[in-house]
Amino acid sequence: MSEENISTGRDSLWSKSRRKLMRDRAGVAAMIVVGVYGLIAILVYLGLIGENWSTLGEEGFGGMSSEHWFGTNINGQDIFSRAIQGIKTAFEVGLVVAVTATAIGGILGAIAGYFHRTIIDEVIMWLYGCIDAIPFYLFVAAVAFSLKGTELQPWGMHIAMIATFWSSTCRIVRGEVIKIRGLEYIQAAKAVGVGPLTIVRRHVMPNTTHILLVQSTIAFVGAIKSEVILTFLGLGVVDGVSWGTMLSESTSDVLRGHFGNFLGASGFLFVLVIAFNMFADALQDALDPKKVSS
Amino acid sequence: METLQFALRKLLYSVPLLFGVTFISFFLMVYHGPDLTYTILGKNPTPEQIAEVHRELGYDQPFLKRYFLFLKEIITFDFGSSISSGEKVSSILKKSVPVSFMVALPAFILSNALGIILALYAANHRGKKNDKIIMVMAAGGMSVSFLMVVIAFQIMFCTSYGLVDWFPVQGWISPPPDYPDATTGEILYYYWYYYWSHVTVPTLASVFVALGYNTRFFRAVIVEELNKDYVRTARAYGVSNRKIMIKHVLKNALIPISTRIIITIPFVIIAGNLVVEKFFGIPGVGLVTYDAITNGDLPIVKAVVTSTAVLYVIALILTDIVYKMIDPRTSYNQ
Repeated sequence: MSEENISTGRDSLWSKSRRKLMRDRAGVAAMIVVGVYGLIAILVYLGLIGENWSTLGEEGFGGMSSEHWFGTNINGQDIFSRAIQGIKTAFEVGLVVAVTATAIGGILGAIAGYFHRTIIDEVIMWLYGCIDAIPFYLFVAAVAFSLKGTELQPWGMHIAMIATFWSSTCRIVRGEVIKIRGLEYIQAAKAVGVGPLTIVRRHVMPNTTHILLVQSTIAFVGAIKSEVILTFLGLGVVDGVSWGTMLSESTSDVLRGHFGNFLGASGFLFVLVIAFNMFADALQDALDPKKVSS
Repeated sequence: METLQFALRKLLYSVPLLFGVTFISFFLMVYHGPDLTYTILGKNPTPEQIAEVHRELGYDQPFLKRYFLFLKEIITFDFGSSISSGEKVSSILKKSVPVSFMVALPAFILSNALGIILALYAANHRGKKNDKIIMVMAAGGMSVSFLMVVIAFQIMFCTSYGLVDWFPVQGWISPPPDYPDATTGEILYYYWYYYWSHVTVPTLASVFVALGYNTRFFRAVIVEELNKDYVRTARAYGVSNRKIMIKHVLKNALIPISTRIIITIPFVIIAGNLVVEKFFGIPGVGLVTYDAITNGDLPIVKAVVTSTAVLYVIALILTDIVYKMIDPRTSYNQ
């Protein structure tokens, strides 16, 4: 038996998906862009680059120079360093929200789907129905009001995003699990006496991983974009610098003809979001076994 | 009659949902919300004053009693007075809701209509070049932040740095100057002119952002419909492509499309558009809410959040009834 035969014999859905993803040129390009951003975020996190973002310069609104690549803002702070710091903030917000929200949505969705047509399902559906009824930005405002004066205040934005973003994941996972629970291997597990929660954890949830992957990329993008709006509304990032703070600053800059803040923040934001969106699309295509790509 | 029964049953089913949203609003903003005593009384109040305000705001009541008081506020639509201006919340909303509605309406119609047209076109040419161009543009539109678009459009259309300097940077229609011999036509023209001068740029920005999402969603719905058997059958019978697209596919796709459109209505009208209204200085609900959020003006935020959520639940009921009217196959017993 040759090597080749063995490898095709162990061809799992995962390796098929991986190969499909690697063949998708736009998807790979997007992945590389996201990777570069991630690398920069790590370097900033470790304090290796972009450290001088809060250093005040002597003159405001400096033009582009070899020292200040994107010029300086009203306080003479280097816009490029601030934009780089923004990458770190974006990844911080995006990762925290995406991981937590998808995990909550995945777990609750699997439970709701598995206990379909019972009171547990009804309660979880009711819960996300309620969350969906409240407009997102106002919900964040409500959470911010509620947390005012407590030690959780700087995390208000994260908490509100997690509390709302899980619902879409939960809905999709629930639908998928309702399909899975009727399959033979679940019946077999039930027949040999495996407990319901063990079935959900060991046999149902692993089969929703592909949904969770795609949903977490969507939540990541949603979190980054919401952060910008929320910071503009005064509900977002409190300390540190983010693209939201830069764009909010730029609203008065642009009327005076200084575009450094605006172009810096929106350029970085746009490239990251479009790369993530493309990556999410490619991932979705690659993980869908029914879809035969050309 | 049957429709009425259906509507009533839907209303009954939505009671838990209404309970949920009011309870969440209550818990976050009233029960666990900020203590307004010192905001009202200022520094150094006497213990009697504090007790007085506590009694007025219901702080001394037990949890459930306070929830019922909150429900009473919602039903009578009496959320008290704004803390910063002292004006009744209901009268503030009465002034600002029409403004928000007028600002949001053109963008709402345009983004949905254009979305459906583009989606039909893309779905009809799916896999071909034009479809790909539309979808790439939709992906681009989905990848920009709303704030970016608003700033960019303001630079482009409202300042001398951009393409044209046609529109005012900020503001809203002011009452017409008081000429004694102005005819009704002239006054109407005045309103018409200033309406568009203030609404055009926000509309363009909102359409730009919403169009990508709408086109993508509508296209997915239409493509799914196109893959169904009846389309193949109709083609086999030699029905023209145009007739299939408009009369069969679009008609069937209308169910998910109208759901999406109806559900967004309360968000568009009541919640207003915080970013647009703040940015362009339009005195709608969005700006009122923005100011309320930044000033910590709880009664206004409370009123806006709760009324939007309640209207959303009502919109959900409406979609079910509209479903029933669009698609007679939907069972009354579901």
